[in-house]
Amino acid sequence: MEMENKAIRKDPENTLTRSRKRKERLLKGLVNSSWSVLEELEANPGLPNGMAYFIDVMKEAFSNNGAHRLLVSPENKKDGRRIVGAYCIMVPEELIYAAGAVPVRLCGGSYETSLAGDELVPRDTCPVVKSSIGFTSLDLISLYSMCDAVIIPTTCDAKRKMGEELSKLTEVWMLEVPHIKDGEGARRQWLQQLYILKKNLESFTGKRFMKRKIGRKALGASIRMIGDAQYQARRLYDIRKSATPVILGREAMLAINAYGFVEADRWTDAMARLNDELEVRVGGKAPAARRRAPRIMIAGCPPIFPNWKIPLLIEEMGAVIVTDESCMGNRYLYDPVGHTENSLTDMMVGLAARYIMPCVCPSFAPNEDRLFRLLQMAEEFAVDGVVYHVLKGCVIYDFELARVEKIMKEKDIPLMRIETDYSPEDLEQLRTRVEAFVEMLGTKKKNR
Amino acid sequence: MTVTKLRWIVLTISFILLILGGWAGLDLGGYLPAYACPFVGSSRGGVCFFFRLQWILAAGTIEAFQALGKHLIFFSILVILIGRAWCGWICPFGFIQDLLDLVRRKLKIGYLRFPERLRDGLGIVKWVFFFIALLIPLWVAYPLLAPSVAADLRQPFCTLCPGKYILPLVVGDTGDVAVDFQSATTITMSVLGLVFSVITIGGAFFKKRFWCPYCPMGLLMSWYKKIAFIKLKKESQKCTMCEVCYNVCPVDIEQVFKEREREDVTFSDCILCMKCIEYCPEDDALRATFLGKSIYRSTRKGFSERLRTVSASLKKRKKESLEHGNGK
Repeated sequence: MEMENKAIRKDPENTLTRSRKRKERLLKGLVNSSWSVLEELEANPGLPNGMAYFIDVMKEAFSNNGAHRLLVSPENKKDGRRIVGAYCIMVPEELIYAAGAVPVRLCGGSYETSLAGDELVPRDTCPVVKSSIGFTSLDLISLYSMCDAVIIPTTCDAKRKMGEELSKLTEVWMLEVPHIKDGEGARRQWLQQLYILKKNLESFTGKRFMKRKIGRKALGASIRMIGDAQYQARRLYDIRKSATPVILGREAMLAINAYGFVEADRWTDAMARLNDELEVRVGGKAPAARRRAPRIMIAGCPPIFPNWKIPLLIEEMGAVIVTDESCMGNRYLYDPVGHTENSLTDMMVGLAARYIMPCVCPSFAPNEDRLFRLLQMAEEFAVDGVVYHVLKGCVIYDFELARVEKIMKEKDIPLMRIETDYSPEDLEQLRTRVEAFVEMLGTKKKNR
Repeated sequence: MTVTKLRWIVLTISFILLILGGWAGLDLGGYLPAYACPFVGSSRGGVCFFFRLQWILAAGTIEAFQALGKHLIFFSILVILIGRAWCGWICPFGFIQDLLDLVRRKLKIGYLRFPERLRDGLGIVKWVFFFIALLIPLWVAYPLLAPSVAADLRQPFCTLCPGKYILPLVVGDTGDVAVDFQSATTITMSVLGLVFSVITIGGAFFKKRFWCPYCPMGLLMSWYKKIAFIKLKKESQKCTMCEVCYNVCPVDIEQVFKEREREDVTFSDCILCMKCIEYCPEDDALRATFLGKSIYRSTRKGFSERLRTVSASLKKRKKESLEHGNGK
């Protein structure tokens, strides 16, 4: 730090150009890497037509630096709504919509920005946090810079401390998540947190001296809007259960990932179209993968776009990803809000329950539910093998590996742990391992 | 037809039969596991088990105790048949409470939920009522101590029960809503009863099924839960612990979503209203069985439809796409 200061004093011009050049270099890298992932997806001749929308969203947000354009509706060009960034799955997006703002999901998945973040956080921090901090500090793309505030739930240690770091750069609202969620006190405290968030949002989106109250009508409407999205996400979930896969996992995961960057109702429209298309394919003659392709579940850390390393590798080797437990994937829109009354109280209670009770993030302890969920998914999707994805530095997912390994062994489902980060360096080595794993699953399936 | 609607229909019919059936000459007997309150007068269509029980015990004669056996057997058969579904689907007092709850819902007022500690603490109330209903009639029968007080007690639980004051009001009988000035004992008892009634009316407006956790008959019925034909079952692996069942439960049973081992999740307070199954978002996670056979299962599809999470816009879209398809 001191060295840097000295350097600036010595030669401010030069350092400035250097940092600008570096930024340009990183942006170029990001554009290229996200472009190449999307290109690879588009190269699939069996790509469903309905995927075009989601691929375009990713292109716009990451390759064209136009995330802000995605949120401007054509019929309402200058609406000036506030944009609220959300880290983690535990941010109740319904409240943000009800306040008249728009949420975007920020968890970073870019290798380039994780390099930039490397200098700002301890070495052993996970790449998600490195990348998120890198994105924000570099002000690299509009997805991050357009946010008027970001909400960070206190889930794992890294996310918690990230909140502190980010607060130097942007407006940060922390959301305290209880880690032992069974107790009544913890749940009441969480509900309290949501009421505080509600109040913050109200004064944030309201005009000066004019608070904009989040009423039951607005909240009910946004619960329904996200409920629609969840309904479509669930349809996709059910479609992926089919015995012959009709969509590749890398495509389905991307489609859900895209939810974080567009408004829920527009995503729902696109997802409904994709589902309609896929439903016709079920039982049809053009499967997305070989009929006997090993069916794989990705467990553990979430692959976040543009880090599509693991999904691409697995399917490149001839296996098909039928499900995942990623908080940017299947889990993102799985659990619904269960409110049965039209009172604000009931909606808030339902919201509070939805965001922590069924959540199986390993930042909770005890987290037995996750094992039940994984077993249920393995059964529902007839999973042949599990790839346990650990991002370097994510201690909590790695901690639960032993338990997951044990239950999968009992069900005779092979599991492979992959520890990696966003860098492409270990690609070849991983390719060999994944290849061997997929081959082993294939032989096992044939012999059955 | 949703289960909630079906339950409203059954509740309404039972209410009419039990409270007004007498006018049509209906008599379903004196051992009903529901608040078929005899104090509504000639219009009653049956009599509550606890009224007759106290009456038999207070009589204290050999014949009375012989009648007690028959009384218990009939009651047991009724309870074994459908368990505490009597409470959720038939009890007229439950109907009154659900009605108050419905008014609250329609006014879009939030509900009240007691904290766990308070709920645990209040758990003793039903036991107190139970022993009052069981022991005091015996004292009435054999008044070894303070016979004058005993003589005025007669049916002690009935005098305390809010059903005695509220249900007659429904048929326009205000005669029971008064303090009984006969003696100090009757004054105390009837004042307590009136206080309980007022609390229950207010309570049931803000808290779902306010009275049910304190009902001594419910306590007695809960002892049949192992052998009753209707049971609530759960498949743990399918449960995501989303807490929805607890949030819709009128009697605040938490154990259903927390249970991870047992299949049978018919807990003591459960009134088998089946709301938890209706609103469970996971396929087959919860179900009701009759003699081991599934009669009702939870489904995600049903959940989305009932909660109207599938909003009008989605239906519109569906319609449009259908029309579009036809156009082609």
